[in-house]
Amino acid sequence: MPRLDPRGRAGAPALVQRAATLLFLLLLLLLAAVPSVAADTVAVDVGSIYASNDGTSIDPALGTIRGKLHSMFNYTSYRMLDRKRLSLSVGEAGEFELPGRRTMRATPLPSRGNKVRLSIQISEGQRSLLTTTLGLRRGGMVLVGGPPHQSGVLILIISAE
Amino acid sequence: MDCGTALKSMISKADGLLPRAEEAELAAHLAGCPACAAEDAAISATGPVLRALTGIRATEKAPALDAMRTRVRAGIEESREARRRTSWIARWAWIPAAVALAVSALLFYPSGTDRSPFHPTSFDVSVEDVESDVATVALVDKGEDLPRVIWIIEDAKT
Repeated sequence: MPRLDPRGRAGAPALVQRAATLLFLLLLLLLAAVPSVAADTVAVDVGSIYASNDGTSIDPALGTIRGKLHSMFNYTSYRMLDRKRLSLSVGEAGEFELPGRRTMRATPLPSRGNKVRLSIQISEGQRSLLTTTLGLRRGGMVLVGGPPHQSGVLILIISAE
Repeated sequence: MDCGTALKSMISKADGLLPRAEEAELAAHLAGCPACAAEDAAISATGPVLRALTGIRATEKAPALDAMRTRVRAGIEESREARRRTSWIARWAWIPAAVALAVSALLFYPSGTDRSPFHPTSFDVSVEDVESDVATVALVDKGEDLPRVIWIIEDAKT
């Protein structure tokens, strides 16, 4: 009479166990990698807002900045046309497509502590509309506005974390 | 009845196949033939002897059979235990797998599609330099509670 081999029935679950162990190790590696990635990179967030006097709607995606826009500018309508977020290393340039065939290039520069330094270049075709270097706190925000768009203007919300 | 026919009848009788009509004829032959009578006695004793012998062999093999039964039971128990252990692992294996997937999704989710509202923590901004080839640039500071604004005034358009 042949002997029973319990390993024969346990083959598939053993594979599941190995897969689970592998995933767990992968998780540990990912968690270990997160702080170093976060410390060396800057998340640049750029929102393109179309401000005009056409209507009175305010995009809810603007969050707490809605009231501030109202108190700073004389426009009645604020609509977010686009938003893009890029994680950039120091010295790495990130390109943001803006409405009206404009582009914005952001490059994090070396900085200390909780500060973020950004080199910003906004272009319209071959023309350079703005070249500036900004110093922000992580989580800070600055607005860049003025370029005409349709019947209003474009306002860029630039924040860095 | 001659001895050859009597032997066939004896075998048929032992097998329980001898017709009742021939039993008397066989008995008459056995009464007059001691050799056939002895043969008949031997054939009749074969069944009990075989049964006894089988019983003796079964008794002799009992310990081996018991040992084999014990091995089979142990094998079955071992198999069940292995299945219980692995099923427990399979039941909870999804937790690390799900956490790993969630972390991967957070890390590798396309970052350019963020639609969460803006919640700035600071409006403290320093402008180190600013210039433009085609526009006048104004720095607007309306207080600490409001974001600083860099306003581009395109000469021809604004």
